[in-house]
Amino acid sequence: MAAVLIADYPEPGFSFENCKRNASFVANGFVPPKATKTGTTIVGITYKDGVILGADTRATEDTTVSDKNCQKIHYLASNIYCCGAGTAADTEMTTQMISSQLELHRLNTNRVVRVATANQMLKQYLFRYQGYIGAALVLGGVDSTGPNLYCIYPHGSSDKVPYTTMGSGSLAAMAVFESYWRPNMNEDEGKKLVRDAIAAGIFNDLGSGSNVDLCIIKKGTAEYLRTYDEANKKGVRQASYRYPKGTTPILTTKTSNIDVHDVSITYVEPMDMS
Amino acid sequence: MSLAMNAPIASYDNMCSHDWIDAPHSTGTSIMAVEFDGGVVIGADSRSTTGAYIANRYADKLTKITDHIYCCRSGSSADTQAIVDVVVYNLNFHATELGEAPLVESGAAVCKELCYNYRDSLMAGLIVAGWDRKKGGQVYSIPIGGMCVRQPVSIGGSGSTYVYGYVDANYKPGMTQNESVEFVKNSLALAMARDGSSGGVIRIGIITEKGIERHIFEGDSIPKFYEG
Amino acid sequence: MSILSYNGSAMVAMKGDNCVSIATDKRFGIQGQTISIEFPKVFQMGPHLYVGLPGLATDTQTVVEKLNFRKNLYELKENRRISPKVFASMVSNLLYEKRFGPFFVEPVIAGLDPITAEPYVCNMDLIGCINEPEDFVVGGTASAQLFGMCEALWEPKLKPDDLFETTSQALINAFDRDAMSGWGATVYIIEKDKITVKDLKTRMD
Repeated sequence: MAAVLIADYPEPGFSFENCKRNASFVANGFVPPKATKTGTTIVGITYKDGVILGADTRATEDTTVSDKNCQKIHYLASNIYCCGAGTAADTEMTTQMISSQLELHRLNTNRVVRVATANQMLKQYLFRYQGYIGAALVLGGVDSTGPNLYCIYPHGSSDKVPYTTMGSGSLAAMAVFESYWRPNMNEDEGKKLVRDAIAAGIFNDLGSGSNVDLCIIKKGTAEYLRTYDEANKKGVRQASYRYPKGTTPILTTKTSNIDVHDVSITYVEPMDMS
Repeated sequence: MSLAMNAPIASYDNMCSHDWIDAPHSTGTSIMAVEFDGGVVIGADSRSTTGAYIANRYADKLTKITDHIYCCRSGSSADTQAIVDVVVYNLNFHATELGEAPLVESGAAVCKELCYNYRDSLMAGLIVAGWDRKKGGQVYSIPIGGMCVRQPVSIGGSGSTYVYGYVDANYKPGMTQNESVEFVKNSLALAMARDGSSGGVIRIGIITEKGIERHIFEGDSIPKFYEG
Repeated sequence: MSILSYNGSAMVAMKGDNCVSIATDKRFGIQGQTISIEFPKVFQMGPHLYVGLPGLATDTQTVVEKLNFRKNLYELKENRRISPKVFASMVSNLLYEKRFGPFFVEPVIAGLDPITAEPYVCNMDLIGCINEPEDFVVGGTASAQLFGMCEALWEPKLKPDDLFETTSQALINAFDRDAMSGWGATVYIIEKDKITVKDLKTRMD
């Protein structure tokens, strides 16, 4: 019986209670709105010491740029990161959830989690939802087996690859990789190649834009280079468009004060118990 | 004459939508397997596509189930990978219970069971091939729908339609290992040349009592035929 | 027509110097027909925390009830005020739970951190993808116009008075070019020691 005083635990998983109602909206001729897509360029390569992931930073809602500097390289574990393309909420939530499962797995096994494990968890999750969770991922990391790079599709298939691109800018980025990628590149060559591939996406694909983010994962370290390259610098505004105070006609003003209690914390010497 | 002002210009959707990113990732494929005395030869191309885009040009469609049983995958990548993952799990468990290597027909039976039970939601055409102590080299074909049949030679995937005639004309019972390898190579080369969704390199696997021996044929080492 | 523009709305939130603003129009219409010009779309969730829910009005009201429930439960369990960032995650989770049958709202959140008083603004799409920029966020049927206004008007480190003018002018000039929103506006300026709520005089056509 549902307790009166204590709320029930909410049902886990997705809720479909609005589906019938929403279907009736569509049946009555209302277009279902589009969710934020990361019309994206994301890439990954393996190089001599590890993997390098790259992403642009534009998020779009239909034709509007809804975020000019979003993060598309997601944390999965200290040695594994994952780039996401497709429906922005799906990539964000999927990686967050898998990240939490990987951390629990690490705590249970007391070992550095493997990239293959993350790949298997992601693909099985995506396969379960038969492509309806629109997340296209580039998964990269370094573990006891060395550098690993996977490319995961929304329907739940995955490939283990030495270099890969995804998202709407993947063709532009792949053109760069197919021309210049070689096995056993050094870190500087790798960073330049990934930057060039993302830049190709930014400039040649309308769905991609803004800056280049990089993530370099080596044995034992992961370096997240947010805004590694600003492919498009915004011009500096010459004049201020600031409105003079009192421009806006006001009907009523209501001010409510808030009591702020500043709490200062001081360290107290522990009592001598001996 | 008035200019059509409302002539549809290329919409943003047309400009930057890529149907292939939403299209399921599939292995429009050429796969093949032949039995010979002492083992089997399996082969596949290496192209995997999403719509018209080649998502992976060096894909491996010869997937290990056990040391002596392999699976050639065709159809949806997601579906076939998911099936093989489950089959690998089941067969490893079976091997532990059995205390010895599973039979090829067991591997095929597990594949068939999944393909048949989920036939309405899967798009998978598999060829299970391998070697076991009881019956030697064996090839089992499991096409879409979940039927399972043993064949001395089997071809599959979209590219196979182009080479049925070649295979029928050139397969001879009792071929040696090397003859079988050449036969698979030639058949796949012909299929890949005609089928747009097959291509890349030819991957060959020879499974015998000793396990698998893998070969890759690329560029000039792919047999050439009339290309008019 | 999108179901998100069935009732019409315009909303904007901006960061300032130790303050944030959130502003909304007050129209509630059913497509072209205006029903009310006193319709609340921005709600107070804490002393320094506001959430705006532009979109389908029925969902605005449903979602705010659900959010209040979850927020109250959180504050009772934790015995402390919810921070804007945590609240944003809460909204995001609520919306993503309905990934395959969403609520038609695109929330805008503005507030100050209860401890550090750090300004925070964010918005999200209807399935909970959070966007946390360092300048401003917009929402509703006039969002395209608001993007343009804010991109030109916003500048860093605006004091509360200037932030009010900037936010108000961005909103008014945006929704004057949107038939679905307008008919009065309310601006909230959130500072550490006070909240100022101003009703604006706007075009009523």
